[in-house]
Amino acid sequence: MLSSMRSFVLITGATGGLGKAFAAECAARGWDLFLTDLSESRLALLAVGLSRLHNVEVKYRACNLADPAAREEFLKSLETAGLQFHFLINNAGLDFEGPFAERTPEELATVVRLNVEATVAITRWVLRLRDQARTFRILNVSSLAGFYPMPVKAVYAASKRFLLQFSLALHCELRGDDITVTALCPAGMPSNPGVIRSINAQGFMGRVTAKNVGFVAAKAIDRALAGRAVYIPGLLNLFLSRLGSLVPSSVAAALINRRWRETSKRCTPSN
Amino acid sequence: MEHVGARREKTENTTGKNTTGKTAVITGATSGIGLAALKELAGLGFRVIGVGRAAKRCAEAEASIRSEMPGARVDYLVADLSSQRQVRDLAAAISRLLETENGGCLDLLVNNAGTVSSWYVTTEDGYEMQFAVNHLAPFLLTRELLPLLNKAGFARVITTSSGSHYNTRMNWRDVMYRRGYNCLLAYKQSKLANVLFTSEFNRRQGPGSRIRAYAVDPGLVNTGIGEKGTNGFVCWFWRIRRQRGVAPEIAARTIIHLATTPGLEDPEAVYWKDCRPKRPSGYSQREDAGRRLWELSERLTS
Ligand SMILES: NC(=O)c1ccc[n+]([C@@H]2O[C@H](COP(=O)([O-])OP(=O)(O)OC[C@H]3O[C@@H](n4cnc5c(N)ncnc54)[C@H](OP(=O)(O)O)[C@@H]3O)[C@@H](O)[C@H]2O)c1
Repeated sequence: MLSSMRSFVLITGATGGLGKAFAAECAARGWDLFLTDLSESRLALLAVGLSRLHNVEVKYRACNLADPAAREEFLKSLETAGLQFHFLINNAGLDFEGPFAERTPEELATVVRLNVEATVAITRWVLRLRDQARTFRILNVSSLAGFYPMPVKAVYAASKRFLLQFSLALHCELRGDDITVTALCPAGMPSNPGVIRSINAQGFMGRVTAKNVGFVAAKAIDRALAGRAVYIPGLLNLFLSRLGSLVPSSVAAALINRRWRETSKRCTPSN
Repeated sequence: MEHVGARREKTENTTGKNTTGKTAVITGATSGIGLAALKELAGLGFRVIGVGRAAKRCAEAEASIRSEMPGARVDYLVADLSSQRQVRDLAAAISRLLETENGGCLDLLVNNAGTVSSWYVTTEDGYEMQFAVNHLAPFLLTRELLPLLNKAGFARVITTSSGSHYNTRMNWRDVMYRRGYNCLLAYKQSKLANVLFTSEFNRRQGPGSRIRAYAVDPGLVNTGIGEKGTNGFVCWFWRIRRQRGVAPEIAARTIIHLATTPGLEDPEAVYWKDCRPKRPSGYSQREDAGRRLWELSERLTS
């Protein structure tokens, strides 16, 4: 019987800062979880911790989602296990920061493979495994960077732009099938010591645009449940994103370029 | 109850306290109050094991103590106490170390490591950072070291709490403060948990127990605690506020007093400040809250 079967929330990039916050938030809502990320041992610790705290079932499987073969095997395993899902959080994403010309081709390809290709493939696959008895929710983690062309983060920002457009389109397209699609566009979030350092290095702007991950995760889930298309945490960030559509892209790119150069100058001596 | 930890040989030292041959573990011993307490105890002849999260700071602290006090018996162990796995590994390492030295006997555990975080940060176990480091780690470490503490003639478990524990309650609906995270509220709760834990520990041990737990209120102390995991405002505020605090050496005195005084004036008192018992908050003495926190902590560290 389909209706008596458990149904899970699939969270990718689950052991990262925002991923852990999503996992904790979903577990607190009493949802059973299926987590994935690179490290099996980190997934195991998180699974144990969350199931103790919230009495939910937490399954997991490690996978390098940027590797197409591994990804396919992972997705097939979900099907073979006979799992069904009512929520998908496409949170896995990465960036290798720094000038384009200094990145290796492999690094650049990895950003596209994970942020773009994996999200598309997983979304397609998991739709087939949806719990028919419930509304299906998809939450895609884009970024405030999705609103601007961003020098020094060119590939990353473009991939986040892709996710934003992809979400907005699916949001309309799938509405009739009882599926909601929400794009989350956060600014930098202080989710681990490394990020906290870099936010502090960005000075005032870094600090005021940063929002607590626990809050962002909770609100993002609220917005997804409400069927909203986009969620931008923080008023100032909302303003900045609107600015993105008013200011011509070329001007925005030039401004951001200048800001990044100043920031990296400020960072270098202390590093 | 007689509070004389003098099963082993006594010798007089400069402060007139009898401590030689005793063993102590102190967490958060790479800076602030913990470092000051460790130095003092080492000077009194304790065999001390300091715990820190950064290998480099541990090595530096160990080296500086050895050069200041060539006769000191000190070792540092590295453990990030936000990780339960590392707390367990730490307890195992302490057991191994002491097993070869004195048959695995521990007289004093000082749960002093503490952290402040402006941000909601999740540990590898999925718990909020301040709750994990400030409360769950002391809970777990104490329980893991119980077999060693039980071997001492009279053992003490001292946890560095704070005046922040007043005027607050446990946020049972969301102990991790996941939703409305507030740095100060989460910190206050974790320090309240220290007193609840201490009182409940003593209740569970029962009268006549040879292990006794104490919570210490160090007062306002001039350390870097408020600058490490914080952002602009909290960081700036603490930089100004800490100037009014006492030196860590002075704050450490209460820990030393509890660790070394054979006949405490009030051995039953749970909460101590300036080497004297002080009344903790009413909430911290509630048995239902103590039991509930204990059961939750057991579940979260099982
Ligand atoms: N300062 C005050 O006014 C005040 C007032 C009331 C209570 N307290 C309490 O006193 C205790 C000591 O604080 P302090 O003022 O001496 O601060 P501190 O100088 O920052 O010392 C805290 C110690 O804990 C260590 N630590 C932090 N997070 C850790 C982790 N995850 N794993 C392992 N070790 C960790 C620190 O290591 P690092 O050296 O690597 O940072 C440091 O050794 C805390 O429990 C605090 O809550 C302080």
